[in-house]
Amino acid sequence: MTIYINRVTAIFICILLFEACALRRSEPLKGSFVPATSEIAKGQALYNLHCDKCHPDGEGGLGPDINWNPAPSFIKKMQVRHGLGVMPSFKENEISKEDLKAIGKYMKAYKHQKRE
Amino acid sequence: MKLSSIFILTVIVLSNTSCYKMRKSTGGAQIKTVQARQVSVADIALPKGYKIEPVSTGLTFPSAVTFDESGNLYVIETGYSYGEVFKSPKLLRLDRGGNTTTMATGTNNGPWTGVTFYQGNFYIAEGGALEGGRILRISMDGKITPLISNLPTIGDHHTNGPVIKEGYIYFGLGTATNSGIVGIDNAHYGWLLRQNKFHDIPCADITLTGKNFNTGNILTTEENDVVSTGAFSPFGTTTVSGQVIKGTCPCSGSILRIPVSGGNPEVVAWGFRNPYGLALSPAGKLFVTENAYDDRGSRPVWGAGDVLWEIKDGLWYGWPDYSAGKSIINDEEFHAPGKGKLEPLLAKYPNTPPKPTAIFAVHSSSNGFDFSKTSKFGYEGEAFVAQFGDMAPDVGKVMSPVGFKIVRVNVSNGVIQDFAVNRGYKNGPASQKKNGGLERPLSVKFDPAGTSLYVVDYGTIILKNHLQIPMEQTGMIWKITKDGL
Repeated sequence: MTIYINRVTAIFICILLFEACALRRSEPLKGSFVPATSEIAKGQALYNLHCDKCHPDGEGGLGPDINWNPAPSFIKKMQVRHGLGVMPSFKENEISKEDLKAIGKYMKAYKHQKRE
Repeated sequence: MKLSSIFILTVIVLSNTSCYKMRKSTGGAQIKTVQARQVSVADIALPKGYKIEPVSTGLTFPSAVTFDESGNLYVIETGYSYGEVFKSPKLLRLDRGGNTTTMATGTNNGPWTGVTFYQGNFYIAEGGALEGGRILRISMDGKITPLISNLPTIGDHHTNGPVIKEGYIYFGLGTATNSGIVGIDNAHYGWLLRQNKFHDIPCADITLTGKNFNTGNILTTEENDVVSTGAFSPFGTTTVSGQVIKGTCPCSGSILRIPVSGGNPEVVAWGFRNPYGLALSPAGKLFVTENAYDDRGSRPVWGAGDVLWEIKDGLWYGWPDYSAGKSIINDEEFHAPGKGKLEPLLAKYPNTPPKPTAIFAVHSSSNGFDFSKTSKFGYEGEAFVAQFGDMAPDVGKVMSPVGFKIVRVNVSNGVIQDFAVNRGYKNGPASQKKNGGLERPLSVKFDPAGTSLYVVDYGTIILKNHLQIPMEQTGMIWKITKDGL
């Protein structure tokens, strides 16, 4: 058990260190981001409409940094739908299922796209 | 491994709650010691192919620049800064080499918030902290002529702008209060102790819900003296359901216009909180940046992002019951953590507010802006916006510094992207990062050729014991150009 917990702790520390090195992903720092698909472009616009005011460019602001949030997709979607902590919930009449999927695609692309 | 997976997921879920209530605010002005202003272009990141250079340093509270018909560069110093710092507002010519020549000096009624040059004269928006806002015309020999005076902007927000379009001067008037109720926060700004009858004024008749808010009476020395204050009313004056407040012009939270030669004001649009920046798009459309609600005062509003609006004549844009086209009433998105949901102040609305062009970061203080009008600079048709940066915790708590940079906005889809930012692990002003980068960009302006973007950097402000302390002679002008131009 001790070995497992130590391994888990080590992995978690690595994730945190990895996060800490990559909080900022905006164009001047990491190069331009070009949406590869129309769905990602749509997700980018929706992110700006619903999310960017608290997580500008995925960085911290009113809310925390989310650029390298390691949470799996279902947790992020759950957080959007139900809120968590002080984050408000966004029901389907505000962000449809399709729009939420597009936002997710954008966030994933923004996080992983290789840039200059 | 099942145990470890559960452990990781639990930690991730807990970390996603952010422990907001337990965390301290970490705003850009929350610094203990301030170093002398340094300048280092290496500390500023720009998109590939652009460079930045200092043009002038040592300015005191600069707010805007303009160019005369020969291409000479001019800057205005506000003459007033939050923190109740009063200086003389000035129009300065910036000579090559960074030296300045004083063209005109205003009276003790700043802040001068904006300047434009038109047919041989300068036009300046005088904020009016002490005597009310004015629009001034200043000739090349420094003669100052007020075109309109006594604008109702002696409160939290001032007279802003101006821009000139088709023979009219367009300008913005900010509201007296954060969200419609005069309260103790307005005494902290300074004005309530000078003008205890001042309050917001609607542009058209409005009907109130009669919601009143109790606070301590800061105007007396008696302990436990409580007063109740209603919307659009002086401190300590209550309202009742169905009460009508008569609209008038000039009015709070509005865009007004007067002829270039002077004359009576007309309402162009209203229902803004603080319409700070005004600019014309390449197609000649009027756009405005609005500083949105703070988490302060008798009716705090949380999570309200600043807004870029396209102005449509005659419309009401939502203040004090909407934010960025969305109702703040009974919506968890806008009620401050630990405080109650928001109730409406207006019983009925003049119209449904329009949709915003773009929504900026909460507390970013997105202010002066200009449009790229040529492919030589790039990003043609996009709006470049100066973000002054947060004043947390006085405006509300933030988890990281917000603003302190230049962003660009695609006005066709609302996508905002960074353009000039300070380097480093986290965003923030130069004084906090202890480097030579951007401090507090307040406005930007393209030169007449459209090939250089001038950035007006207000300088350093720190917050100590809820008192804003702006540092004199820390303001400066930067210039951004594309390589090869």
